[in-house]
Amino acid sequence: MTEGVVYDLGYRRHEGERMGRAAATRALYRDGLRRVLGLRRRARAKVLPWSLLAVAVLPASGFIGLAVFTRDLGIQGVEFFSHAQYFDLTGVIALLFVAIAAGELLVPDRAHGVLQVYASRPLTAGDYLLGRAAGLATVVFGFMELPHLVLFLGRGPGSPDGFGSYAAANAGILWQTSLSCLGYLAALAPPALLFAAYARRPALASGPFVGVMLLLSLATRALVEQGDLRVFALFDLRQHPAVVKDWIMGNPGRWGEYGRAGFGPWVSLLVIGLVALTAAYLLVRRYRRPA
Amino acid sequence: MPEAIISTQGLGFAYGSIVALRDVTLEIPPGCIGLVGANGAGKTTLLKLLLGILKPAEGAAWALGHPVPGAALAVRSRVGYMPESACLPPDQTAADFVGYAAELAGLSTRAARQRASDILGLVGLHEERFRHMGGFSTGMKQRVKLAQAIVHDPDLVLLDEPTAGLDPEGREEMLQLIGRLEGFGINALVSSHVLTDIERTCRWVVMLDGGGVLRSGPLTDISATDEVAVEVLDDPGPLAAALEAAGAAVQVLGRTVVVRVGVADPFDMVRDALADTGAAVRRLGPRRTTLEDVYLRGGGDD
Repeated sequence: MTEGVVYDLGYRRHEGERMGRAAATRALYRDGLRRVLGLRRRARAKVLPWSLLAVAVLPASGFIGLAVFTRDLGIQGVEFFSHAQYFDLTGVIALLFVAIAAGELLVPDRAHGVLQVYASRPLTAGDYLLGRAAGLATVVFGFMELPHLVLFLGRGPGSPDGFGSYAAANAGILWQTSLSCLGYLAALAPPALLFAAYARRPALASGPFVGVMLLLSLATRALVEQGDLRVFALFDLRQHPAVVKDWIMGNPGRWGEYGRAGFGPWVSLLVIGLVALTAAYLLVRRYRRPA
Repeated sequence: MPEAIISTQGLGFAYGSIVALRDVTLEIPPGCIGLVGANGAGKTTLLKLLLGILKPAEGAAWALGHPVPGAALAVRSRVGYMPESACLPPDQTAADFVGYAAELAGLSTRAARQRASDILGLVGLHEERFRHMGGFSTGMKQRVKLAQAIVHDPDLVLLDEPTAGLDPEGREEMLQLIGRLEGFGINALVSSHVLTDIERTCRWVVMLDGGGVLRSGPLTDISATDEVAVEVLDDPGPLAAALEAAGAAVQVLGRTVVVRVGVADPFDMVRDALADTGAAVRRLGPRRTTLEDVYLRGGGDD
Protein backbone atom coordinates (compact mmCIF):
# COMPACT_ATOMS: atom_id res chain seq x y z
CA MET A 1 0.00 0.00 0.00
CA THR A 2 1.44 3.35 -0.98
CA GLU A 3 1.40 6.18 1.52
CA GLY A 4 0.15 9.64 0.63
CA VAL A 5 2.83 12.22 0.17
CA VAL A 6 2.33 15.97 0.32
CA TYR A 7 4.50 17.91 -2.10
CA ASP A 8 5.04 21.60 -1.53
CA LEU A 9 4.66 22.86 -5.07
CA GLY A 10 5.68 26.33 -3.97
CA TYR A 11 4.93 29.27 -6.20
CA ARG A 12 4.15 28.71 -9.83
CA ARG A 13 4.20 31.44 -12.45
CA HIS A 14 1.06 31.99 -14.51
CA GLU A 15 1.81 30.83 -18.03
CA GLY A 16 -1.73 31.22 -19.35
CA GLU A 17 -3.44 34.02 -21.18
CA ARG A 18 -4.21 37.45 -19.73
CA MET A 19 -7.43 38.62 -21.28
CA GLY A 20 -7.41 42.30 -20.41
CA ARG A 21 -10.11 44.84 -19.72
CA ALA A 22 -12.99 43.09 -21.43
CA ALA A 23 -12.56 39.99 -19.28
CA ALA A 24 -12.15 42.11 -16.16
CA THR A 25 -15.37 43.97 -16.95
CA ARG A 26 -17.16 40.65 -17.46
CA ALA A 27 -15.87 39.51 -14.07
CA LEU A 28 -17.30 42.69 -12.56
CA TYR A 29 -20.61 41.97 -14.26
CA ARG A 30 -20.77 38.40 -12.94
CA ASP A 31 -19.84 39.59 -9.45
CA GLY A 32 -22.62 42.18 -9.69
CA LEU A 33 -25.18 39.50 -10.54
CA ARG A 34 -24.06 37.38 -7.60
CA ARG A 35 -24.06 40.31 -5.23
CA VAL A 36 -27.54 41.58 -6.14
CA LEU A 37 -28.98 38.12 -5.75
CA GLY A 38 -26.95 37.35 -2.63
CA LEU A 39 -25.32 34.33 -4.25
CA ARG A 40 -22.16 33.03 -2.52
CA ARG A 41 -23.05 35.35 0.35
CA ARG A 42 -24.56 34.69 3.77
CA ALA A 43 -28.21 33.64 3.90
CA ARG A 44 -29.39 37.05 5.07
CA ALA A 45 -28.04 38.62 1.87
CA LYS A 46 -30.46 36.45 -0.10
CA VAL A 47 -33.59 37.30 1.89
CA LEU A 48 -34.53 40.67 0.40
CA PRO A 49 -33.91 40.08 -3.31
CA TRP A 50 -35.50 36.65 -3.37
CA SER A 51 -38.46 37.81 -1.27
CA LEU A 52 -39.13 40.66 -3.68
CA LEU A 53 -38.79 38.30 -6.62
CA ALA A 54 -41.27 35.95 -4.97
CA VAL A 55 -43.71 38.81 -4.35
CA ALA A 56 -43.44 39.77 -8.03
CA VAL A 57 -43.87 36.26 -9.42
CA LEU A 58 -46.33 34.70 -6.97
CA PRO A 59 -49.39 36.68 -8.12
CA ALA A 60 -48.72 35.58 -11.71
CA SER A 61 -48.37 31.98 -10.58
CA GLY A 62 -51.54 32.36 -8.50
CA PHE A 63 -53.49 33.74 -11.47
CA ILE A 64 -52.37 30.83 -13.59
CA GLY A 65 -53.38 28.39 -10.87
CA LEU A 66 -56.79 30.03 -10.61
CA ALA A 67 -57.21 29.99 -14.38
CA VAL A 68 -56.54 26.26 -14.47
CA PHE A 69 -58.87 25.72 -11.51
CA THR A 70 -61.79 27.69 -13.03
CA ARG A 71 -61.27 25.99 -16.39
CA ASP A 72 -61.49 22.61 -14.68
CA LEU A 73 -64.72 23.76 -13.03
CA GLY A 74 -66.05 24.68 -16.45
CA ILE A 75 -66.22 28.39 -15.71
CA GLN A 76 -65.59 30.28 -18.96
CA GLY A 77 -64.45 33.83 -19.62
CA VAL A 78 -62.66 34.39 -16.34
CA GLU A 79 -60.06 37.12 -16.98
CA PHE A 80 -57.40 38.18 -14.54
CA PHE A 81 -54.84 40.93 -14.64
CA SER A 82 -53.57 41.91 -18.06
CA HIS A 83 -49.84 42.32 -18.69
CA ALA A 84 -50.25 46.10 -18.63
CA GLN A 85 -52.03 45.97 -15.28
CA TYR A 86 -49.39 43.63 -13.90
CA PHE A 87 -46.82 46.40 -14.32
CA ASP A 88 -48.75 48.40 -11.72
CA LEU A 89 -47.64 45.75 -9.21
CA THR A 90 -44.13 45.05 -10.50
CA GLY A 91 -43.46 48.75 -11.09
CA VAL A 92 -43.77 49.42 -7.37
CA ILE A 93 -41.74 46.37 -6.40
CA ALA A 94 -39.16 47.25 -9.06
CA LEU A 95 -38.63 50.62 -7.38
CA LEU A 96 -37.74 48.83 -4.13
CA PHE A 97 -35.69 46.19 -5.93
CA VAL A 98 -33.66 48.71 -7.91
CA ALA A 99 -33.05 50.80 -4.81
CA ILE A 100 -31.78 47.81 -2.82
CA ALA A 101 -29.78 46.34 -5.70
CA ALA A 102 -28.03 49.63 -6.55
CA GLY A 103 -27.00 50.07 -2.92
CA GLU A 104 -25.68 46.52 -2.74
CA LEU A 105 -23.70 47.00 -5.94
CA LEU A 106 -21.86 50.22 -5.21
CA VAL A 107 -21.83 50.95 -1.49
CA PRO A 108 -19.92 47.93 -0.08
CA ASP A 109 -17.08 48.41 -2.57
CA ARG A 110 -16.56 51.90 -1.24
CA ALA A 111 -17.38 51.22 2.43
CA HIS A 112 -15.03 48.23 2.66
CA GLY A 113 -12.22 49.81 0.64
CA VAL A 114 -12.52 47.32 -2.25
CA LEU A 115 -12.27 50.22 -4.71
CA GLN A 116 -8.54 50.20 -3.95
CA VAL A 117 -8.34 46.69 -5.38
CA TYR A 118 -10.24 47.73 -8.51
CA ALA A 119 -7.95 50.75 -8.85
CA SER A 120 -4.92 48.46 -8.91
CA ARG A 121 -6.34 46.34 -11.74
CA PRO A 122 -6.36 47.11 -15.48
CA LEU A 123 -9.77 48.79 -15.28
CA THR A 124 -11.01 52.32 -15.75
CA ALA A 125 -13.73 53.97 -13.69
CA GLY A 126 -15.95 53.63 -16.76
CA ASP A 127 -15.29 49.86 -16.92
CA TYR A 128 -16.26 49.56 -13.27
CA LEU A 129 -19.50 51.46 -13.72
CA LEU A 130 -20.28 49.60 -16.95
CA GLY A 131 -19.84 46.21 -15.27
CA ARG A 132 -21.93 47.20 -12.29
CA ALA A 133 -24.66 48.85 -14.37
CA ALA A 134 -24.85 45.84 -16.69
CA GLY A 135 -25.25 43.54 -13.69
CA LEU A 136 -28.03 45.71 -12.31
CA ALA A 137 -29.73 45.94 -15.71
CA THR A 138 -29.71 42.18 -16.20
CA VAL A 139 -31.15 41.40 -12.80
CA VAL A 140 -33.77 44.15 -12.88
CA PHE A 141 -34.84 43.25 -16.40
CA GLY A 142 -35.13 39.61 -15.42
CA PHE A 143 -36.98 40.56 -12.25
CA MET A 144 -39.56 42.57 -14.20
CA GLU A 145 -39.92 40.30 -17.22
CA LEU A 146 -40.07 36.98 -15.40
CA PRO A 147 -43.66 37.43 -14.10
CA HIS A 148 -44.80 38.25 -17.64
CA LEU A 149 -43.16 35.12 -18.96
CA VAL A 150 -44.93 33.14 -16.24
CA LEU A 151 -48.25 34.75 -17.24
CA PHE A 152 -47.61 34.15 -20.91
CA LEU A 153 -46.50 30.55 -20.56
CA GLY A 154 -49.21 29.83 -17.99
CA ARG A 155 -52.07 31.19 -20.06
CA GLY A 156 -51.07 29.31 -23.18
CA PRO A 157 -51.96 25.79 -22.03
CA GLY A 158 -55.30 27.06 -20.70
CA SER A 159 -56.22 28.63 -24.02
CA PRO A 160 -59.12 26.90 -25.87
CA ASP A 161 -57.04 26.98 -29.10
CA GLY A 162 -54.02 25.32 -27.51
CA PHE A 163 -50.61 26.70 -26.60
CA GLY A 164 -49.22 26.95 -30.13
CA SER A 165 -52.08 29.09 -31.40
CA TYR A 166 -52.04 31.21 -28.25
CA ALA A 167 -48.30 31.81 -28.47
CA ALA A 168 -48.47 32.71 -32.15
CA ALA A 169 -51.36 35.10 -31.63
CA ASN A 170 -49.93 36.78 -28.55
CA ALA A 171 -46.17 36.73 -29.21
CA GLY A 172 -46.22 40.51 -29.59
CA ILE A 173 -46.89 40.86 -25.90
CA LEU A 174 -43.38 39.61 -25.15
CA TRP A 175 -41.57 42.40 -26.97
CA GLN A 176 -44.07 44.90 -25.56
CA THR A 177 -43.37 43.79 -21.98
CA SER A 178 -39.63 43.65 -22.73
CA LEU A 179 -39.60 47.22 -24.05
CA SER A 180 -41.68 48.35 -21.10
CA CYS A 181 -39.22 46.69 -18.70
CA LEU A 182 -36.40 48.56 -20.41
CA GLY A 183 -38.33 51.77 -19.88
CA TYR A 184 -38.60 51.11 -16.14
CA LEU A 185 -34.95 50.12 -16.05
CA ALA A 186 -33.79 53.29 -17.80
CA ALA A 187 -35.96 55.45 -15.58
CA LEU A 188 -35.09 53.92 -12.20
CA ALA A 189 -31.58 52.46 -12.36
CA PRO A 190 -29.43 55.55 -13.16
CA PRO A 191 -30.78 57.73 -10.33
CA ALA A 192 -30.66 54.76 -7.94
CA LEU A 193 -26.99 54.20 -8.80
CA LEU A 194 -26.33 57.91 -8.31
CA PHE A 195 -27.82 57.79 -4.82
CA ALA A 196 -25.73 54.69 -4.09
CA ALA A 197 -22.57 56.42 -5.30
CA TYR A 198 -22.79 58.91 -2.46
CA ALA A 199 -24.19 56.75 0.38
CA ARG A 200 -22.10 55.26 3.14
CA ARG A 201 -24.37 52.28 3.73
CA PRO A 202 -26.68 50.36 1.38
CA ALA A 203 -29.72 51.32 3.44
CA LEU A 204 -28.71 54.97 3.22
CA ALA A 205 -28.77 54.65 -0.55
CA SER A 206 -32.04 52.78 -1.00
CA GLY A 207 -34.05 54.63 1.67
CA PRO A 208 -33.46 58.17 0.41
CA PHE A 209 -33.87 57.07 -3.23
CA VAL A 210 -37.29 55.52 -2.58
CA GLY A 211 -38.22 58.47 -0.36
CA VAL A 212 -37.31 61.04 -3.00
CA MET A 213 -39.19 59.16 -5.72
CA LEU A 214 -42.33 58.90 -3.59
CA LEU A 215 -42.08 62.51 -2.43
CA LEU A 216 -41.74 63.67 -6.03
CA SER A 217 -44.90 61.75 -6.90
CA LEU A 218 -46.87 63.22 -4.01
CA ALA A 219 -45.60 66.75 -4.53
CA THR A 220 -46.21 66.56 -8.27
CA ARG A 221 -49.77 65.35 -7.74
CA ALA A 222 -50.48 68.22 -5.38
CA LEU A 223 -48.97 70.80 -7.72
CA VAL A 224 -50.69 69.52 -10.86
CA GLU A 225 -54.02 69.60 -9.06
CA GLN A 226 -53.49 73.35 -8.72
CA GLY A 227 -54.06 73.53 -12.48
CA ASP A 228 -51.54 76.16 -13.52
CA LEU A 229 -48.52 74.17 -12.43
CA ARG A 230 -48.77 71.36 -14.93
CA VAL A 231 -45.07 71.54 -15.84
CA PHE A 232 -44.30 70.00 -12.45
CA ALA A 233 -45.81 66.76 -13.71
CA LEU A 234 -42.49 66.23 -15.47
CA PHE A 235 -40.80 65.77 -12.09
CA ASP A 236 -42.83 62.68 -11.23
CA LEU A 237 -40.05 60.32 -12.25
CA ARG A 238 -42.06 57.23 -11.28
CA GLN A 239 -44.82 58.19 -13.69
CA HIS A 240 -42.68 58.35 -16.82
CA PRO A 241 -41.95 54.62 -17.27
CA ALA A 242 -45.63 53.87 -16.60
CA VAL A 243 -46.65 56.32 -19.31
CA VAL A 244 -44.16 54.78 -21.75
CA LYS A 245 -45.36 51.30 -20.81
CA ASP A 246 -49.02 52.19 -21.42
CA TRP A 247 -48.05 53.75 -24.73
CA ILE A 248 -46.11 50.65 -25.83
CA MET A 249 -48.91 48.34 -24.75
CA GLY A 250 -51.58 50.40 -26.45
CA ASN A 251 -53.23 51.38 -23.21
CA PRO A 252 -53.47 55.20 -23.26
CA GLY A 253 -55.59 57.24 -20.92
CA ARG A 254 -54.15 55.73 -17.78
CA TRP A 255 -51.57 58.44 -17.34
CA GLY A 256 -53.03 59.98 -14.19
CA GLU A 257 -52.17 63.54 -13.37
CA TYR A 258 -49.38 63.38 -15.89
CA GLY A 259 -51.86 62.76 -18.67
CA ARG A 260 -54.14 65.38 -17.26
CA ALA A 261 -51.23 67.78 -17.45
CA GLY A 262 -51.19 67.23 -21.20
CA PHE A 263 -47.82 65.58 -21.75
CA GLY A 264 -47.38 62.59 -24.02
CA PRO A 265 -45.11 59.55 -24.03
CA TRP A 266 -42.42 61.20 -26.15
CA VAL A 267 -41.93 63.79 -23.45
CA SER A 268 -41.66 60.96 -20.91
CA LEU A 269 -39.05 59.25 -23.04
CA LEU A 270 -37.13 62.50 -23.28
CA VAL A 271 -37.24 63.02 -19.52
CA ILE A 272 -36.12 59.44 -18.88
CA GLY A 273 -33.21 59.92 -21.29
CA LEU A 274 -32.20 63.25 -19.79
CA VAL A 275 -32.30 61.93 -16.22
CA ALA A 276 -30.32 58.84 -17.23
CA LEU A 277 -27.65 60.86 -19.04
CA THR A 278 -27.32 63.34 -16.18
CA ALA A 279 -27.04 60.54 -13.63
CA ALA A 280 -24.47 58.73 -15.78
CA TYR A 281 -22.39 61.89 -16.15
CA LEU A 282 -22.44 62.54 -12.40
CA LEU A 283 -21.61 58.90 -11.66
CA VAL A 284 -18.57 58.93 -13.94
CA ARG A 285 -17.46 62.22 -12.40
CA ARG A 286 -17.84 60.78 -8.93
CA TYR A 287 -15.79 57.67 -9.73
CA ARG A 288 -13.09 59.43 -11.72
CA ARG A 289 -12.10 61.35 -8.63
CA PRO A 290 -9.43 59.30 -6.78
CA ALA A 291 -10.31 58.19 -3.28
CA MET B 1 22.94 48.63 -11.78
CA PRO B 2 20.40 46.33 -13.54
CA GLU B 3 17.63 47.95 -15.56
CA ALA B 4 15.37 49.92 -13.24
CA ILE B 5 11.90 48.55 -12.49
CA ILE B 6 10.79 51.98 -11.28
CA SER B 7 12.07 55.37 -12.39
CA THR B 8 10.89 58.82 -11.54
CA GLN B 9 12.11 62.16 -12.75
CA GLY B 10 11.28 65.32 -10.79
CA LEU B 11 8.03 63.78 -9.61
CA GLY B 12 5.74 66.04 -7.62
CA PHE B 13 2.21 65.87 -6.26
CA ALA B 14 0.09 68.00 -3.96
CA TYR B 15 -3.28 67.52 -2.30
CA GLY B 16 -4.56 71.05 -2.76
CA SER B 17 -2.11 73.26 -0.92
CA ILE B 18 -0.42 70.36 0.87
CA VAL B 19 2.67 69.16 -0.96
CA ALA B 20 2.89 65.37 -0.68
CA LEU B 21 5.86 64.78 -2.99
CA ARG B 22 8.38 67.20 -4.44
CA ASP B 23 11.11 66.66 -7.02
CA VAL B 24 11.40 62.92 -6.48
CA THR B 25 13.99 61.43 -8.82
CA LEU B 26 14.66 57.72 -8.42
CA GLU B 27 16.13 54.74 -10.24
CA ILE B 28 15.07 51.57 -8.44
CA PRO B 29 16.63 48.21 -9.41
CA PRO B 30 14.82 44.85 -9.36
CA GLY B 31 14.52 42.95 -6.09
CA CYS B 32 12.96 43.73 -2.76
CA ILE B 33 13.01 47.47 -2.24
CA GLY B 34 12.19 49.30 0.96
CA LEU B 35 10.33 52.58 0.96
CA VAL B 36 10.71 54.12 4.37
CA GLY B 37 9.56 57.31 5.92
CA ALA B 38 7.45 58.70 8.71
CA ASN B 39 3.68 58.96 8.39
CA GLY B 40 2.95 61.68 5.85
CA ALA B 41 6.35 61.36 4.18
CA GLY B 42 4.67 60.61 0.84
CA LYS B 43 5.05 56.82 0.64
CA THR B 44 1.42 55.99 -0.18
CA THR B 45 1.21 58.92 -2.60
CA LEU B 46 4.25 57.57 -4.45
CA LEU B 47 2.66 54.11 -4.68
CA LYS B 48 -0.59 55.59 -6.04
CA LEU B 49 1.35 57.63 -8.58
CA LEU B 50 3.13 54.47 -9.72
CA LEU B 51 -0.22 52.73 -10.18
CA GLY B 52 -1.58 55.66 -12.13
CA ILE B 53 -4.35 56.23 -9.59
CA LEU B 54 -3.05 59.76 -9.06
CA LYS B 55 -1.70 61.99 -11.79
CA PRO B 56 1.58 63.75 -11.07
CA ALA B 57 1.46 67.51 -10.84
CA GLU B 58 4.98 67.63 -12.21
CA GLY B 59 7.66 65.27 -13.44
CA ALA B 60 7.26 61.78 -14.82
CA ALA B 61 7.29 58.18 -13.62
CA TRP B 62 7.87 54.78 -15.23
CA ALA B 63 7.04 51.37 -13.81
CA LEU B 64 8.27 48.19 -15.50
CA GLY B 65 9.33 50.36 -18.40
CA HIS B 66 5.87 51.85 -18.99
CA PRO B 67 5.07 55.50 -18.38
CA VAL B 68 2.42 56.18 -15.75
CA PRO B 69 -0.28 57.33 -15.81
CA GLY B 70 -0.05 57.19 -19.64
CA ALA B 71 0.16 53.40 -19.77
CA ALA B 72 -1.44 52.78 -16.38
CA LEU B 73 -3.56 49.86 -17.57
CA ALA B 74 -0.53 48.05 -19.00
CA VAL B 75 1.32 48.65 -15.74
CA ARG B 76 -1.58 47.45 -13.58
CA SER B 77 -1.88 44.19 -15.48
CA ARG B 78 1.67 43.33 -14.28
CA VAL B 79 1.61 45.01 -10.88
CA GLY B 80 -0.05 43.99 -7.63
CA TYR B 81 -1.02 46.34 -4.83
CA MET B 82 -1.59 45.61 -1.17
CA PRO B 83 -3.25 48.67 0.36
CA GLU B 84 -2.56 49.72 3.92
CA SER B 85 -6.21 50.19 4.83
CA ALA B 86 -9.00 47.63 4.75
CA CYS B 87 -9.95 46.34 1.29
CA LEU B 88 -11.76 43.07 1.98
CA PRO B 89 -15.53 42.58 1.76
CA PRO B 90 -16.54 40.81 4.99
CA ASP B 91 -19.37 38.84 3.41
CA GLN B 92 -17.18 37.03 0.88
CA THR B 93 -14.98 34.00 1.34
CA ALA B 94 -11.25 34.39 0.90
CA ALA B 95 -11.27 31.96 -2.04
CA ASP B 96 -14.04 33.86 -3.82
CA PHE B 97 -12.43 37.24 -3.29
CA VAL B 98 -8.90 36.26 -4.27
CA GLY B 99 -10.22 34.40 -7.32
CA TYR B 100 -12.26 37.45 -8.25
CA ALA B 101 -9.16 39.64 -7.84
CA ALA B 102 -7.34 37.36 -10.30
CA GLU B 103 -10.21 37.60 -12.79
CA LEU B 104 -10.09 41.37 -12.51
CA ALA B 105 -6.48 41.17 -13.67
CA GLY B 106 -7.56 39.31 -16.80
CA LEU B 107 -7.10 35.66 -15.81
CA SER B 108 -9.71 33.15 -16.97
CA THR B 109 -12.21 31.99 -14.36
CA ARG B 110 -10.66 28.54 -14.21
CA ALA B 111 -7.10 29.81 -13.87
CA ALA B 112 -8.24 32.39 -11.31
CA ARG B 113 -9.84 29.74 -9.10
CA GLN B 114 -6.81 27.49 -9.31
CA ARG B 115 -4.37 30.29 -8.54
CA ALA B 116 -6.53 31.60 -5.70
CA SER B 117 -6.40 28.19 -4.07
CA ASP B 118 -2.64 27.91 -4.61
CA ILE B 119 -1.83 31.39 -3.35
CA LEU B 120 -4.06 31.13 -0.29
CA GLY B 121 -2.20 27.93 0.52
CA LEU B 122 1.08 29.75 0.01
CA VAL B 123 0.15 32.49 2.50
CA GLY B 124 -1.04 29.90 5.01
CA LEU B 125 -4.81 30.19 4.59
CA HIS B 126 -5.57 26.93 2.82
CA GLU B 127 -7.83 25.67 5.61
CA GLU B 128 -9.65 28.97 6.03
CA ARG B 129 -10.15 29.80 2.37
CA PHE B 130 -13.86 29.02 2.36
CA ARG B 131 -14.61 31.12 5.44
CA HIS B 132 -16.18 34.58 5.19
CA MET B 133 -13.50 37.20 5.74
CA GLY B 134 -15.59 39.17 8.23
CA GLY B 135 -14.50 36.66 10.89
CA PHE B 136 -10.80 36.82 10.08
CA SER B 137 -8.14 38.11 12.47
CA THR B 138 -5.96 41.06 11.45
CA GLY B 139 -3.14 38.67 10.56
CA MET B 140 -5.38 36.59 8.32
CA LYS B 141 -6.73 39.72 6.63
CA GLN B 142 -3.18 40.90 5.92
CA ARG B 143 -2.44 37.52 4.35
CA VAL B 144 -5.53 37.76 2.13
CA LYS B 145 -4.47 41.26 1.14
CA LEU B 146 -1.06 39.92 0.14
CA ALA B 147 -2.70 37.00 -1.68
CA GLN B 148 -4.92 39.27 -3.79
CA ALA B 149 -1.85 41.36 -4.63
CA ILE B 150 0.14 38.44 -6.03
CA VAL B 151 -2.60 36.08 -7.27
CA HIS B 152 -2.30 37.29 -10.87
CA ASP B 153 1.46 36.63 -10.87
CA PRO B 154 2.65 40.23 -11.13
CA ASP B 155 6.20 41.27 -11.96
CA LEU B 156 6.07 43.92 -9.27
CA VAL B 157 4.04 44.16 -6.10
CA LEU B 158 3.56 47.34 -4.11
CA LEU B 159 3.07 46.60 -0.42
CA ASP B 160 1.80 49.47 1.71
CA GLU B 161 2.58 48.92 5.40
CA PRO B 162 2.22 45.13 5.17
CA THR B 163 2.93 44.55 8.86
CA ALA B 164 0.55 47.22 10.17
CA GLY B 165 -1.55 46.02 13.08
CA LEU B 166 0.15 42.62 13.34
CA ASP B 167 1.30 41.03 16.57
CA PRO B 168 5.00 39.98 16.74
CA GLU B 169 4.26 36.46 15.51
CA GLY B 170 2.09 37.68 12.63
CA ARG B 171 4.69 40.28 11.74
CA GLU B 172 7.41 37.66 11.64
CA GLU B 173 5.33 35.46 9.34
CA MET B 174 4.46 38.35 7.05
CA LEU B 175 8.12 39.36 6.77
CA GLN B 176 9.03 35.78 5.89
CA LEU B 177 6.41 35.79 3.15
CA ILE B 178 7.71 39.07 1.78
CA GLY B 179 11.23 37.71 1.92
CA ARG B 180 10.15 34.82 -0.33
CA LEU B 181 8.68 37.04 -3.05
CA GLU B 182 11.99 37.67 -4.81
CA GLY B 183 12.49 33.93 -5.07
CA PHE B 184 9.14 33.71 -6.86
CA GLY B 185 10.35 36.22 -9.45
CA ILE B 186 8.23 39.03 -8.00
CA ASN B 187 9.89 42.36 -7.34
CA ALA B 188 8.52 44.15 -4.29
CA LEU B 189 8.37 47.76 -3.20
CA VAL B 190 7.67 47.57 0.52
CA SER B 191 6.46 50.77 2.14
CA SER B 192 6.87 50.94 5.89
CA HIS B 193 7.65 53.25 8.72
CA VAL B 194 9.04 50.31 10.70
CA LEU B 195 12.68 50.50 9.74
CA THR B 196 13.64 47.13 11.16
CA ASP B 197 11.13 45.47 8.82
CA ILE B 198 12.91 47.01 5.85
CA GLU B 199 16.33 46.06 7.20
CA ARG B 200 15.22 42.46 7.41
CA THR B 201 13.62 42.10 4.00
CA CYS B 202 15.10 44.58 1.55
CA ARG B 203 18.37 45.02 -0.30
CA TRP B 204 17.74 48.54 -1.53
CA VAL B 205 16.19 51.39 0.41
CA VAL B 206 14.48 54.61 -0.56
CA MET B 207 14.07 57.02 2.33
CA LEU B 208 11.43 59.72 2.05
CA ASP B 209 11.06 62.69 4.33
CA GLY B 210 8.61 65.52 3.94
CA GLY B 211 7.84 64.50 0.37
CA GLY B 212 11.46 64.48 -0.77
CA VAL B 213 14.07 61.74 -1.18
CA LEU B 214 16.44 61.56 1.77
CA ARG B 215 18.50 58.62 0.53
CA SER B 216 18.22 55.95 -2.14
CA GLY B 217 20.71 53.15 -2.42
CA PRO B 218 21.75 49.64 -1.42
CA LEU B 219 21.09 48.90 2.24
CA THR B 220 24.71 47.87 2.73
CA ASP B 221 25.94 51.28 1.52
CA ILE B 222 23.44 53.18 3.62
CA SER B 223 24.16 51.26 6.78
CA ALA B 224 27.94 51.19 6.34
CA THR B 225 30.06 53.64 8.37
CA ASP B 226 33.72 54.54 8.47
CA GLU B 227 34.01 53.30 12.03
CA VAL B 228 35.24 50.14 13.78
CA ALA B 229 33.45 48.87 16.88
CA VAL B 230 35.19 46.84 19.60
CA GLU B 231 33.04 45.37 22.32
CA VAL B 232 34.97 44.17 25.34
CA LEU B 233 33.98 41.98 28.25
CA ASP B 234 35.22 44.30 31.02
CA ASP B 235 35.99 48.00 31.48
CA PRO B 236 36.54 49.66 28.07
CA GLY B 237 38.40 52.60 29.64
CA PRO B 238 41.96 51.28 29.30
CA LEU B 239 41.39 50.25 25.70
CA ALA B 240 39.91 53.63 24.83
CA ALA B 241 42.83 55.37 26.50
CA ALA B 242 45.34 53.23 24.63
CA LEU B 243 43.66 53.98 21.32
CA GLU B 244 43.55 57.69 22.04
CA ALA B 245 47.23 57.57 22.98
CA ALA B 246 47.90 55.98 19.58
CA GLY B 247 46.17 58.91 17.90
CA ALA B 248 42.70 57.47 17.19
CA ALA B 249 39.44 59.32 17.68
CA VAL B 250 37.30 57.10 19.93
CA GLN B 251 33.87 57.10 21.49
CA VAL B 252 32.77 54.81 24.31
CA LEU B 253 29.22 53.47 24.14
CA GLY B 254 28.65 51.14 27.09
CA ARG B 255 31.25 48.39 26.70
CA THR B 256 31.84 49.23 23.07
CA VAL B 257 34.65 51.43 21.88
CA VAL B 258 33.97 53.03 18.52
CA VAL B 259 37.10 53.94 16.57
CA ARG B 260 36.78 56.43 13.76
CA VAL B 261 38.78 55.34 10.78
CA GLY B 262 41.71 57.64 10.37
CA VAL B 263 44.91 57.58 8.40
CA ALA B 264 46.29 54.35 9.90
CA ASP B 265 44.62 50.96 9.58
CA PRO B 266 42.16 50.95 12.51
CA PHE B 267 42.24 47.17 12.86
CA ASP B 268 46.02 47.22 13.34
CA MET B 269 45.60 50.00 15.84
CA VAL B 270 42.94 48.05 17.76
CA ARG B 271 45.04 44.88 17.69
CA ASP B 272 47.99 46.72 19.22
CA ALA B 273 45.83 48.41 21.84
CA LEU B 274 44.23 45.11 22.82
CA ALA B 275 47.65 43.52 23.16
CA ASP B 276 48.85 46.40 25.33
CA THR B 277 45.84 46.46 27.66
CA GLY B 278 45.01 42.75 27.70
CA ALA B 279 41.31 43.52 27.22
CA ALA B 280 39.10 40.54 26.37
CA VAL B 281 37.25 41.04 23.07
CA ARG B 282 33.66 40.02 22.66
CA ARG B 283 33.05 41.46 19.19
CA LEU B 284 35.17 43.33 16.65
CA GLY B 285 34.14 44.62 13.25
CA PRO B 286 33.05 47.54 11.07
CA ARG B 287 30.30 49.46 12.78
CA ARG B 288 26.97 49.20 10.98
CA THR B 289 24.39 51.82 11.64
CA THR B 290 20.66 51.16 11.58
CA LEU B 291 18.21 52.77 9.19
CA GLU B 292 16.82 54.54 12.20
CA ASP B 293 20.21 56.16 12.82
CA VAL B 294 20.45 57.22 9.19
CA TYR B 295 16.91 58.54 9.21
CA LEU B 296 17.40 60.48 12.43
CA ARG B 297 20.62 61.94 11.07
CA GLY B 298 18.61 63.24 8.14
CA GLY B 299 19.99 61.06 5.40
CA GLY B 300 23.58 60.55 6.34
CA ASP B 301 26.68 62.26 5.24
CA ASP B 302 26.10 62.65 1.55
